[in-house]
Amino acid sequence: MVATDEELVARSMAGDAESFNQLVLRWERPIHALAYRVIGRDEDARDVAQETFLRAFRALPGFKGQAKFSSWLYRIALNLCRDWIRRKKRTPIVDMPEDVDFIEMAADHGPVESIEDLVARNEMSRMVADGMKLLPDEQRTAIVLKEYHGLTFQEIADLQGCPLSTVKTRLYQGLSVLRKHLESQGVTSFASGRSS
Amino acid sequence: MSLIFTCDDKATLVAYLYDEVDAQDRQRVDEHLQHCAACAGEVAALSRVRTELTQWAPPEAELGFTIIRRDALHKQAAPPPATVLRPAQWWNTAPVRAQAVAAILVLAVSAAIANVQVKSGPDGFVVSTGWMTPAPATTPAAPLVATGGNGEAWQPALIALEQQLREEIRANRETGVVRAASRSQADYATLRRIRELLEASESRQKGELALRVTQLARDMNIQRRADLLRVEQAIGHTGVEIAKQRQTVNYLIRASATPRQ
Repeated sequence: MVATDEELVARSMAGDAESFNQLVLRWERPIHALAYRVIGRDEDARDVAQETFLRAFRALPGFKGQAKFSSWLYRIALNLCRDWIRRKKRTPIVDMPEDVDFIEMAADHGPVESIEDLVARNEMSRMVADGMKLLPDEQRTAIVLKEYHGLTFQEIADLQGCPLSTVKTRLYQGLSVLRKHLESQGVTSFASGRSS
Repeated sequence: MSLIFTCDDKATLVAYLYDEVDAQDRQRVDEHLQHCAACAGEVAALSRVRTELTQWAPPEAELGFTIIRRDALHKQAAPPPATVLRPAQWWNTAPVRAQAVAAILVLAVSAAIANVQVKSGPDGFVVSTGWMTPAPATTPAAPLVATGGNGEAWQPALIALEQQLREEIRANRETGVVRAASRSQADYATLRRIRELLEASESRQKGELALRVTQLARDMNIQRRADLLRVEQAIGHTGVEIAKQRQTVNYLIRASATPRQ
């Protein structure tokens, strides 16, 4: 039977480092993905993810369990992302990874998806990434937490330290900017679907 | 809260979009969308934006972070010593004994590259490096057995002198005559020949020794340059790995210095 986060946290607090390693294994990819989408650089996202778990391990004795372990991790990661953005003092650049080979990726995805479809999908990914780059940090973070991590409005509000209505406003404004950006890029589904 | 949804109620529209509304609000929005083409179009467009957002995936990353406690190494440290490492970097997880073995292997390979040879002989240990044929450490019997053209004339003369001395000694023993104070003319001639032979021998030895020393110095200089080049190449190959290790160490130092959350 798979142990819950709470059980693993309890064992970790009792001194079982291996239990914490299971938590790391469970959450390292979501945390890395969160950091990557917020700050936009793979290598820095790795560092943020690593630092997140390091800080979490150190702060574990102070974790009282009022929030979910994942929410606690998200908070640490977002604080680190905010520090990173502040330290860099530049607009986060969301790039496709430098070593992505579309043709190689096409081969990896098998015969279900044609190369043309895959290239188009990656082109869309790039356009989405470019659109996310246009958003203010708060809007981008709210969309990332909502779209890719499935947090509720209230959880996002808690993480961002703002009212629930502000979260909804950020989401609406962010999605509207992305919509305009994708329309400007000539995405056909938007051009043809506006009247529906 | 109003019972009628209005077009400017974007908060409720977003909640509807993400299906985080109660049944009452859902019904209000549904009724509004049936006769408001603008809001219906906006909901459809934002839904497609959400669909397109799913296309944006982070790169596949080999993470594998692992907490490694080092209590045994840092018992005196007050805070719980821990770090997060990436096990893909094997040198981070290899035990100290394995690292020591690896270091010995590196030294052995370096010695093999430099072709370090240690030989023991009657003249003691001789250490040589490089792949060139080393100059002989010693030149056995060279001072005693000359190989040049003068040496061939010098050797029979020495033998003849030895035989002459032996015969004179034997004759003195037979006659019982001891000539201690005065020396005959023949004795002076013999001593002069000995002195000349010794001087010739010393002169040859000095010349050969100077030649050997010069050759040895030249060979050592050439070999030293070749060895330095090989060592530089060997270090160059491991430079990247060393740089990676240095980066990791720097990060660990930085991480351990980070204050608690």
